[in-house]
Amino acid sequence: MNTKKIRRGMIHRGAILVLLLSGGVRAGAQPSYENPWTPPVPRNGEDARLAAYHARIDEVFDWRIGLYDPEKPTSLDMAGIAMMLVRGINREAVDARVLELMRDPGTGPFWMFPCTMVAFAGRDTLSVDARGAIRDAWRTTRQLRGDTENHWVMYYVSLYLMSELYPGEAGERWYTGLSSTENLAESRAWLLEWMDITTTRGQGEYNATHYIGEYAIPMLMLAVWADEPDMRLRGRMMLDWIFAELATVTLDGVLRGPNSRTDDTSVLERWNALSSFFSWILFGNTPPTRGYGGWGNYFAVLGRHYEVPEVIHRIATDRAGDILQRDRARTRRFWRYSDELSPPIFKTQYLRKHYAVGSYQGGSSDPIQTHVWDVTWAEPDPRGKHNTIFSLHPHSSGRVQQMYFCTFPEPMPEGVTYEGKPSYNQADKLLGCSPYEQVLQDLDTVVALYSIAPGEDFQQVNGFFSKDLRDVVEHPSGWIFARGGRALLAYRPLAPYEWIAHRHYPSGWSRDTVLSGGRTLVSPHPNNGTIVQAADESEFESYEAFQAAVAALPLDYRMEPRPSVRHRTLRGREIEFAYGRPPMVDGRLVDYGRWKLFEGPHLNAEVGGRRLTITHGRLERVLDFESLEVVDRVRR
Amino acid sequence: MTRPRGLVSFASVKRRPAFALLASVAFSAAAAQTRSHDFYVCAAINRDYVIGSRIVTLNGLYRLGGDGAWEHFGVNDTTITALAFDPRDRDMLYTTTLNGLWTSHDGGRSWRIPTGPGMTEGRDVSVDPNAPDTVYLALPDGIAVSDDRGWSFERRENGLPERARYTQTIEVDRTTKARVLAGTVGGVYLTEDAGGVWRRVLPTATTVNDLQQSPHDPADWLATTDTHGVWRSRDRGETWTRIEALADGRAWYNVTFDPTDSRRIAAAGWWHGAWTSEDGGNTWSARNTGLPAPHRVWRVGVDPNRGRLYASVFKETLYHSDDFGRTWTADALAGSLVAAFVSVPVREEEVPER
Repeated sequence: MNTKKIRRGMIHRGAILVLLLSGGVRAGAQPSYENPWTPPVPRNGEDARLAAYHARIDEVFDWRIGLYDPEKPTSLDMAGIAMMLVRGINREAVDARVLELMRDPGTGPFWMFPCTMVAFAGRDTLSVDARGAIRDAWRTTRQLRGDTENHWVMYYVSLYLMSELYPGEAGERWYTGLSSTENLAESRAWLLEWMDITTTRGQGEYNATHYIGEYAIPMLMLAVWADEPDMRLRGRMMLDWIFAELATVTLDGVLRGPNSRTDDTSVLERWNALSSFFSWILFGNTPPTRGYGGWGNYFAVLGRHYEVPEVIHRIATDRAGDILQRDRARTRRFWRYSDELSPPIFKTQYLRKHYAVGSYQGGSSDPIQTHVWDVTWAEPDPRGKHNTIFSLHPHSSGRVQQMYFCTFPEPMPEGVTYEGKPSYNQADKLLGCSPYEQVLQDLDTVVALYSIAPGEDFQQVNGFFSKDLRDVVEHPSGWIFARGGRALLAYRPLAPYEWIAHRHYPSGWSRDTVLSGGRTLVSPHPNNGTIVQAADESEFESYEAFQAAVAALPLDYRMEPRPSVRHRTLRGREIEFAYGRPPMVDGRLVDYGRWKLFEGPHLNAEVGGRRLTITHGRLERVLDFESLEVVDRVRR
Repeated sequence: MTRPRGLVSFASVKRRPAFALLASVAFSAAAAQTRSHDFYVCAAINRDYVIGSRIVTLNGLYRLGGDGAWEHFGVNDTTITALAFDPRDRDMLYTTTLNGLWTSHDGGRSWRIPTGPGMTEGRDVSVDPNAPDTVYLALPDGIAVSDDRGWSFERRENGLPERARYTQTIEVDRTTKARVLAGTVGGVYLTEDAGGVWRRVLPTATTVNDLQQSPHDPADWLATTDTHGVWRSRDRGETWTRIEALADGRAWYNVTFDPTDSRRIAAAGWWHGAWTSEDGGNTWSARNTGLPAPHRVWRVGVDPNRGRLYASVFKETLYHSDDFGRTWTADALAGSLVAAFVSVPVREEEVPER
């Protein structure tokens, strides 16, 4: 039943991680995770970049293989097996472990792609018995396609590759009952369709803190192992596409909001997400998370077959100037109660050297895991830092879950919390989007308006004030000022509020909360709003000068009958924003319908164009899915 | 959903042995003499299961043995929502699951998935007993029909709304070839040409969760909804009247007639628990005493052989009642969710052997 599926990816990853870190095994060193972190000096020389990248890959290999304990075969998981196969070591142990694992196979994409990786990595070196066991598992064990886009990418890349590995076989040799040819055709068709929609309308699971791995790893497998040259090229181009976007939505390697799918920890401690592993391994600009993110191990297995293009590397590591990027994405598909199957998302990304502001325009994007907006500031070492500020309506409802899932109205909220999203039904949660939130971002100003319908569970707005904010001041003007890193922050609640200690669920399996050290601003009013202004400390003579400047900004707002705001921003822009109406900036409507797929100094693409131009300085790479060409050039 | 198909006979069908994967069932002589139907459930018993992990429980299809025990057969799929048979050939099985539709042509020994990514998350499946090559598939984005025993499907959605075609349940009128009712997010839709054109016969603003045709009177239909209560049609689904005795506002998941007693009907819902009527639907009573509280009843079904009422309670064991809900006894399938109760007339050639 569908209530069972919301958090399975997270849970499974967690299970893998637990296995990786299980007691009794002497954990190998994780230098980049454990050692003091010094932000690297960007190096653009090809050889130096490549050597550093390979060193990071080797670090993952050494760590994972180091976890193997000959006395405990279970210390060897699929990633470890694949790495040993790549290095050509411990063949007997690998064979034995494969046979053991295939006796009790898994049942879906999170099992399929690691198994496919082992099958390919060992196709010439695994024993006949081990290869036979893998083959038989794909005949006898039903595999679930899943119900989210990342599931399907993993599922179809796995089935595509395995169908190529075992060509010409009849339906009775496959769990699907379809022949190799039929499996391959179905997989290929879906993958092409997914690439097409992604390159014309944007990603459905955009800026995902964890699910980037579930896209990048299958694309890498496709790029390395597909027989068909065009599929290899498509895989490589999609990797560039995914990582180019990652480069533009990270601050010193740390992903910030908005995020289509994330979790409690990743919105609190922005670094602590699988996306940081990818920033680390590709760009070397942030520490990797514990255990190299679990799934990151699988990327490392094939990492030497892909090198991120220089232009993308430069975007990620060179932040000399401010970046304003406006992009499109898609919501998860709506099955019910929506006029559109997958409405567009309009993301605004404003990145500066010391902080970044990101948002989409609010509303529902994913029923549980979306993070709509935040201001995140840079920390020299982001580990353990809660370097973000934002607000949200803590929405929870069976009806919204019915929109996205084939579920009945009542059981799914319970199922979600049971299966690893413990905060979902909590009034003081910090995770999730709401149909009653609308957001306007203009550069480093965010206005979020709320009009929570009667009868909804939680008639309040939560604002997050982290332990790492300094010099918090509740100013007589109504603004709350704070400093985060080298960012100056102003938060204006538009309705009365109170403070509570913030309690955090430390993992998706937690039943108990812990104090995070931060506070939650709780504003228990259904019509509500938040304004946040950010600036760099270099822009003002003093913190007090910043406060005075913000307090002097013209601000006119009302909460009844619906919230509305007229405000002049720190950057001198005149904002008019009323809940339920298109926003205006400097007297002009913000016309989302005219937004391109990507528009900014680094990424540009037209809606429907299938063509992404990646630019940094004079360097440019064009990914053209229409002609299936990659063009690298240096502009004159 | 309970699917009594009492008018379908298998007597003249020459068949090969069915359900090779079915564990042997020891029927008592007494049970064999009275047993008119096979009774199945589609069950999920997902202890700690998440996609990708190993399934440590037996899920999927169970058949009730003559000794009252549930016997697992065929598949171990956590996501089965419905089961249907070809009335001519009960080795021909159709199950809806997360992947779409799985079919078996050999009684569950082997399976094939004929639906690709364009037809996923199957909700319900129904075979036309008067045209058994025709199979109807309810999907979250509409309705698909096969005219070749499930080998291929095509969309037949003319008349359904452009968007929001979510279809939870689909039920063939067993008296009339190509006449089908579908429960959607916008109400009950009816086709009389095998899905060529659908017309709305009961409008709703939320999902219709179940449709059932009475095994006693084929003109008598029941429909349960998310927020609009439970509805009844006495004219083959053309017009509908809400059953006032059953509350609206909270979802009713399913409803079932008792094939052994035309006066008895049961309905179920998360907030409501189990409700029954023993006077043909004129009066209704809550029948939750003895069920675990809160009475989050997932499904009710009636064993057509003995009139035993079953209730699936959310993540609890299955319960049964021999007095139509007055008292309940814990049954098997601990921790289960039963998505469907399905009854099929036994093959006449099988009965003497048992």
